[in-house]
Amino acid sequence: MPTVVVMDVSLSMTRPVSVEGSEEYQRKHLAAHGLTMLFEHMATNYKLEFTALVVFSSLWELMVPFTRDYNTLQEALSNMDDYDKTCLESALVGVCNIVQQEWGGAIPCQVVLVTDGCLGIGRGSLRHSLATHNQRSENNRFPLPFPFPSKLYIMCMANLEELQSTDSLDCLERLIDLNNGEGQIFTIDGPLCLKNVQSMFGKLIDLAYTPFHAVLKCGHLTADVQVFPRPEPFVVDEEIDPIPKVINTDLEIVGFIDIADISSPPVLSRHLVLPIALNKEGDEVGTGITDDNEDENSANQIAGKIPNFCVLLHGSLKVEGMVAIVQLGPEWYGMLYSQADSKKKSNLMMSLFEPGPEPLPWLGKMAQLGPISDAKENPYGEDDNKSPFPLQPKNKRSYAQNVTVWIKPSGLQTDVQKILRNARKLPEKTQTFYKELNRLRKAALAFGFLDLLKGVADMLERECTLLPDTAHPDAAFQLTHAAQQLKLASTSTSEYAAYDHNITPLQTDFSGSSTERM
Amino acid sequence: MKIFSESHKTVFVVDHCPYMAESCRQHVEFDMLVKNRTQGIIPLAPISKSLWTCSVESSMEYCRIMYDIFPFKKLVNFIVSDSGAHVLNSWTQEDQNLQELMAALAAVGPPNPRADPECCSILHGLVAAVETLCKITEYQHEARTLLMENAERVGNRGRIICITNAKSDSHVRMLEDCVQETIHEHNKVAANSDHLMQIQRCELVLIHTYPVGEDSLVSDRPKKELSPVLTSEVHSVRAGRHLATKLNILVQQHFDLASTTITNIPMKEEQHANTSANYDVELLHHKDAHVDFLKSGDTHLGGSSREGPFKETITLKWCTPRTNNIELHYCTGAYRISPVDVNSRPSSCLTNFLLNDPRYKIDGSLEIPLERAKDQLEKHTRYWPMIISQTTIFNMQAVVPLASVIVKESLTEEDVLNCQKTIYNLVDMERKNDPLPISTVGTRGKGPKRDEQYRIMWNELETLVRAHINNSEKHQRVLECLMACRSKPPEEEERKKRGRKREDKEDKSEKAVKDYEQEKSWQDSERLKGILERGKEELAETEIIKDSPDSPEPPNKKPLVEVDETPPVEKSKGPVSLLSLWSNRINTANSRKHQEFAGRLNSVNNRAELYQHLKEENGMETTENGKASRQ
Repeated sequence: MPTVVVMDVSLSMTRPVSVEGSEEYQRKHLAAHGLTMLFEHMATNYKLEFTALVVFSSLWELMVPFTRDYNTLQEALSNMDDYDKTCLESALVGVCNIVQQEWGGAIPCQVVLVTDGCLGIGRGSLRHSLATHNQRSENNRFPLPFPFPSKLYIMCMANLEELQSTDSLDCLERLIDLNNGEGQIFTIDGPLCLKNVQSMFGKLIDLAYTPFHAVLKCGHLTADVQVFPRPEPFVVDEEIDPIPKVINTDLEIVGFIDIADISSPPVLSRHLVLPIALNKEGDEVGTGITDDNEDENSANQIAGKIPNFCVLLHGSLKVEGMVAIVQLGPEWYGMLYSQADSKKKSNLMMSLFEPGPEPLPWLGKMAQLGPISDAKENPYGEDDNKSPFPLQPKNKRSYAQNVTVWIKPSGLQTDVQKILRNARKLPEKTQTFYKELNRLRKAALAFGFLDLLKGVADMLERECTLLPDTAHPDAAFQLTHAAQQLKLASTSTSEYAAYDHNITPLQTDFSGSSTERM
Repeated sequence: MKIFSESHKTVFVVDHCPYMAESCRQHVEFDMLVKNRTQGIIPLAPISKSLWTCSVESSMEYCRIMYDIFPFKKLVNFIVSDSGAHVLNSWTQEDQNLQELMAALAAVGPPNPRADPECCSILHGLVAAVETLCKITEYQHEARTLLMENAERVGNRGRIICITNAKSDSHVRMLEDCVQETIHEHNKVAANSDHLMQIQRCELVLIHTYPVGEDSLVSDRPKKELSPVLTSEVHSVRAGRHLATKLNILVQQHFDLASTTITNIPMKEEQHANTSANYDVELLHHKDAHVDFLKSGDTHLGGSSREGPFKETITLKWCTPRTNNIELHYCTGAYRISPVDVNSRPSSCLTNFLLNDPRYKIDGSLEIPLERAKDQLEKHTRYWPMIISQTTIFNMQAVVPLASVIVKESLTEEDVLNCQKTIYNLVDMERKNDPLPISTVGTRGKGPKRDEQYRIMWNELETLVRAHINNSEKHQRVLECLMACRSKPPEEEERKKRGRKREDKEDKSEKAVKDYEQEKSWQDSERLKGILERGKEELAETEIIKDSPDSPEPPNKKPLVEVDETPPVEKSKGPVSLLSLWSNRINTANSRKHQEFAGRLNSVNNRAELYQHLKEENGMETTENGKASRQ
């Protein structure tokens, strides 16, 4: 998940902080200190992630575009000048543009706003923005909620008492509300000093930047992995099931399936699965990803020489063209697969399905998937030339069952013409003729459209009179029979009018079966 | 959408009173003149549908779209009303399909125009609708059971769609009052019942329909809250296609649907088989499918669709898929669809193209299949060397018949026989002194001698079989056979035969194998495919053999060197190459003869920073080309 750090560089950030017995600090120094800590944490644990730095006052500027180079970000922190007043709205608009340009609207993004809680004055101040929030048109929409999945973390270089003395805190809370509640406000506990800033950023790291470690298991084979980015909790149904579901730290592979069978399923999110080496204390030593960096952790090199299940799994999935189904929790599944980055490089990735017993209807219930050896005969055929998937639904959808819809006249006309066409090719088309006739009969009975049955009966009788001399004698018999049956269905309440009754061809001396009798 | 929103339960109440038998006064030509046959024939007179037929086919279309897009958890209860209420189906999932409803409607038949209008009323149906809304659905029941003490979180909301022919606005008001009153009464009853639920919210959608060309006696009214429980809206609609259009709009509103038109789909012309024309097909689906489009600002809006019932449709261009494409694509959502015009030729061509695979279903056994799958994974991974050079047996074609069956839960007599044959075959190979694919990577010289190779192989095979002896008595028999047949020269004899160092090393590898067994950290090696037993074993076998980088070494070659003086190999460092042994020795010898460079002593990873003093003196970095040092 990319991060945008939005740093307030208005004059109020230069307000001094009295720290006993040391040189004078300004709030911006405290902010830079906290951000340094965040960047250092990310450089260690989130080195694949992109971060951008935006500074703002009445204007905003993208200081560092999205990068993985935390040194650049760190340097930018020490090169910030002081500007005029705070103007939050335009900065948030800037964030929208930057994120949408780089990532579009589907990639979740974290926004870390660092400010002192002075929200500006006059036009462009947050108070002004909020006051005019209801009077906006589509053109000057307020930037929140962000037009991409987001978390807005507001890091205040002020303590709670200070913020509560004005309406600052209320305004900032409004901001989180406007972002659909996605985000949180952090304030400094106690006096403003380096230590308390550290503890505030520590809380942010705990909340939003702790790496997700898990154990990938396949029978007796296991590997310690980091799942990146961290899978976020998921709420299934806010009314019935309001508790967010969190994925297990034991990721158990339950089986394997062909890519063609799972066929690009919809997923909630996708993640890199990186093997990690854990030393005996259980601390992370380093990720196993290849890196040309010369200073690479020696533990990584050792880890690179130990056979790892992730490598085996990734290679096998790639070669076989399969994915592994992994259990994420009770009635929650995902898949592990090889994703090509480029022609040469590919990664082991995990995608999460929507929680539930049957996330992919074409596979049926996940718990009902089992080993091939349990099936009486191989569902893939002896030559691997078929597949049991996709499963046929118990009730076919309307487009798969030849339903009758006569809402448009053309629908009705097509069905009548089909009967007429086949009527003219009797007796060759006897089967199709009766099939279409029965379809029309059933629909007419269900819709209570008895006039149609009479009309088609009249039509068939007329056809009978129009038969050419060359016509097969059976044709006349079948037409008369069919017309009679339709009339019976339209008028009487006898068995001939029953919905389930089918008109069957008249047995004549000319028809095939009678020849057999002779 | 919440599971138990108003859309969970829809009750259709369709008027079956005598006046519904009246014509809608919209004619349908059904006797279309076909070419070449027009001479002298007068087409049959057009017919028209009754109000009843229009109502029924429009509500069936509503249900068709709903069932296509929500095959589960969205339920319909169909009621027709005349001198009483006829409830045509129940809330159960089995009753939720078009065939059931069509059959039930056919049984009811069209209204009898000669029935006594005084006895007939839509009210019977409305009362029955409220009653049925109080009935619990299987989904509500399941959710309540699951939530236990939080059962009250399960909502009971519903919608009544009533199609009737009302006399006036005050008649409509009377119907609303009746529903309101009935809800009040039934909620009292439901409060004291375990299998009924109180109605929390009910949306009443009253549709007044009348023949085309007549004046409506009822006015439209937007949704209005009649009580905290009941909202009501009134639609006054001409019968015929106007009614169908209205219900089509309603199903989209009620189920949050949106429209997408797939354009430029090439299809063969019926008349000219070798040409193809392009068609468009309009589909309905949940509107979430459009969320990302709308967010991206690129709305692909095609404006109004031709038929006009929908405000807007998003157009997508057809892209013929490559048939042999089995890549995994990133997909953020998959949505069920329903064609707007289901039996038009373009629609059915498209859906048939998409549905063309043959399918069937696997039977489920009593045990949960997924648990059986996990169980199988456990068995298959008990012994699974991770890298090819760590294993001998999985590089040997000759072992495959045993390795492929020993992992099974139970063995047949034939399996046991095959395992025994495999073992005899290996004994035979040993007697003939056949080479084995033992890895020489990371070992000194040529690796172990032939008899040692066999010992390693037998040990590994024993590890594999032992890992499964608890599966069944037959597995036990395979082990017994193995133990009886395998070569195990007495330890003492071995010692004499071989050099000391060599034995140390070998014991270590033997111990390693034993460790696997003890810690039960069985390792891998027969490819992952084996887990699902794709019946492709033959292919797998050839791959195993082919994949081995280690071809067996040529026979009768002695190791080139035997180094006695080498220091004992440290466990953690693993095997040491001859080169490194040699260089270490030379280095140690040489190091005694000179004093080490200061730079090398202080180096980090064999790199020492030069001219460090300059940095301290100048307080700045040294210049790049080193000139600074000369100043």
